[in-house]
Amino acid sequence: MRPQQRKKLGYIFLAVLFFTCIYSFSGEVLAQEKEEVAYRLKWLFNVSVVGDLWADVNGNFAANGLQVAVKPGGPERDAIKELELGRAQFGVASADQVIRAVSKGSPIVVLAQLFQTNPLHWIYRPAKSHFKSPADFKGQTVGITYGGNDETIMRALLAKYHIKENELNLFSVRYDYTPFYQGKVDFWPLYINAQAPIIGAKLKKAGEQYSFVSPDDFGIRFVANSVVTSRQMFESRPDTVKRFITALIQGWREALDPANNERAIKTILQSDKETPEAIVRQQLPVTRSLMMPAPDFPFGKIDAAAWKQTEEIMLSQNLIPKPVNVEKLLKPPVP
Amino acid sequence: MLHRRIYQFFIIYFLGLAALMVIKYGLSLSDYVIPSPAEIWQTARRFFPIYFVAVINTLSVAILGHILSICLATIVGIIGRLTIWVGSFIRVAAYNIQAYPIVAVAPIIFILLGDGLSSRLLIAAMICYFPLLLSFIGIFSEPVYEIEHFFESTLKMTWWLQVKIRAFENINKLITVIVGSATLAMVGTIVAEFIAADAGIGYSIRIALFQSDLAKILVALFLIGVCTSLYLVWLEWIGHLIQKRWEIPEGG
Repeated sequence: MRPQQRKKLGYIFLAVLFFTCIYSFSGEVLAQEKEEVAYRLKWLFNVSVVGDLWADVNGNFAANGLQVAVKPGGPERDAIKELELGRAQFGVASADQVIRAVSKGSPIVVLAQLFQTNPLHWIYRPAKSHFKSPADFKGQTVGITYGGNDETIMRALLAKYHIKENELNLFSVRYDYTPFYQGKVDFWPLYINAQAPIIGAKLKKAGEQYSFVSPDDFGIRFVANSVVTSRQMFESRPDTVKRFITALIQGWREALDPANNERAIKTILQSDKETPEAIVRQQLPVTRSLMMPAPDFPFGKIDAAAWKQTEEIMLSQNLIPKPVNVEKLLKPPVP
Repeated sequence: MLHRRIYQFFIIYFLGLAALMVIKYGLSLSDYVIPSPAEIWQTARRFFPIYFVAVINTLSVAILGHILSICLATIVGIIGRLTIWVGSFIRVAAYNIQAYPIVAVAPIIFILLGDGLSSRLLIAAMICYFPLLLSFIGIFSEPVYEIEHFFESTLKMTWWLQVKIRAFENINKLITVIVGSATLAMVGTIVAEFIAADAGIGYSIRIALFQSDLAKILVALFLIGVCTSLYLVWLEWIGHLIQKRWEIPEGG
C-alpha cells in the first residue's frame, strides 16, 4: 500500500470513529432526557388497548418525561411475571391473575382499573334459546374455557342462582367457534367489545339474530383488566409511577372521547392491521361504554367492592387458599 | 435397561428443578413465578391421581398414533422408493404436508373430525411420521447389490422380496428410528390435546397455564417423562427381540 493510500484510509477511519462517537453520545443524551420504562399489555394490539396505544403515539408519555416501550401481550405472556423478573415496570393483568399472584406472595399493586364492566359475555340465539335469567341456562349447553376466568364467572353465576352443574351441559370451549355456528352449543363466551362485532357479522350474514348475557347484569362483578406495577416500583419510584399513570389516564380519556373517534380508530389500525376498519368502528363505542359508563366518569377508577367480590368468588371456588385482603393492593396514585 | 433409563430421567428432571430453585431463590421470586418445593410437593400429592390417568390416556393415544405413523411411513416408504412418477409424487406430497405447521392445520382437522380421539390420533401421527418416512424412504430405496443381484439374475426378484431384503439388512437403523420417533408421537399427542381436546395431559397443562400454575405443569412434566421413558424401554425391548429373532445363527 502506498503512503498516500494509507493516509486516505487513516482519514476515513478517523471520520467513521468521529461520527460513531457523535451518534452514540446523542443517543445517550436523548435517553437521559426521558426515563425508559416497559409496559406489558395483557393481550395483542386491538381495541381493548386503544388508550395505551394513544398515550404512546400521541405523545402523552413523552410529555410526562417517559419513553415507554408498549409491548403486546398474549396467551403465554404474563405481565405480573415480567414485573417480578424486571422485564417490565408496568403491566396489565386481570383481577383473577392479580389475586392469584398475590396469594402466592407476588409483591404487586393495582394502579387503575381499565374496564368498569367485564367485557366477558355469552352470545346466544334468542330464536333458539329463551333467556331472561340464569335459571334459563337449565337444560342448555353452555360453553366455558376450563381454567379460564369465564369458567370462574359462570360457576359464580350458577352458584348465585342455585343452579347445579348437572342441570345444564358445560361444553369445553376453544378458539374455534364452529360448535356455536353449528348450533351444538347454545351459549358461547366472548369479549363483547372485541369479538362480538366479528361473530355478529357472521351470524347476520347467515340471517340469524343474536343477543348477549352479561354476568354483570345478574350481580356478578368480576373485575377484568387493570394496570399493575411492583410494590418496589410503587414505593421506590413514586414520581415515575405518578407520571406514568397520569400519562396513561390522559391517553385513555383522549382516546375514548367521542370527539377523537376518527383519530382513535386510526391509532388502532396503525397497530392492528388484521382487523377491518368497519369492525373497529363497531368495537370502539362498545369499549367506551364498558370503560366509561358515563361521559364524566373518572377513567381508571378502582371499584373496591367489585374487587372484594372477585376475591370472594375465587375463595368460594378454592382458586385461592385464603383471603388476600384485596383492598390493600389497590393503590391509585391519583393524578 | 429400565432402571437405568428411569434414574437417568430422574437425574435430568431434578437437575432442571434444582436450576429453577437456584433462579427462584437467587432472584427472590415469588411462588407465582416459580413455585416453592413445598408447593410442588403438595400439588403432586393432590393432583397425582388425576394427572396419572391423564398421562396414561395420552400415552395410549401416542402409542396408537405411533403405530399408525409406522404403518403409514412403511406404505409411503415402499411406494416412494420407486423412481416412477407416483413415487416422486408421494414424496413431494409427504414433504409438503410436513411443511405446514400443525397449529395452522389443527383447526381444519378439528372442524372435520371434532375434538375427540381421531383428531388427537391424526395429529400425533402427523408429527411423528415424517422422520420415520425419511428414514424408511432412504432404507427402502438403497439397493443391497450383493444380495439383490442374485435374485435379479435368477429372475426371482419381486417387490416384496426386495423390501424384505432391504429391511433385513437395515434392521438396526429401522429400530433406532422407530424408538426415536416414539418421543415425537408423545409430543404430537400432547400438542393436539393442548390445541383442542378435552382429555389427556396436554389438556391438563393448558388448564394449568390458564391458572398460571407452574407447580401443576412441573408435576405433569414429571409424569410425561416417566411414561415416555417406560414406552421407550418397551420399544427397545421389542426391537431387541426382533433383532434376536432375525439373527443368522453361527455357521449358516
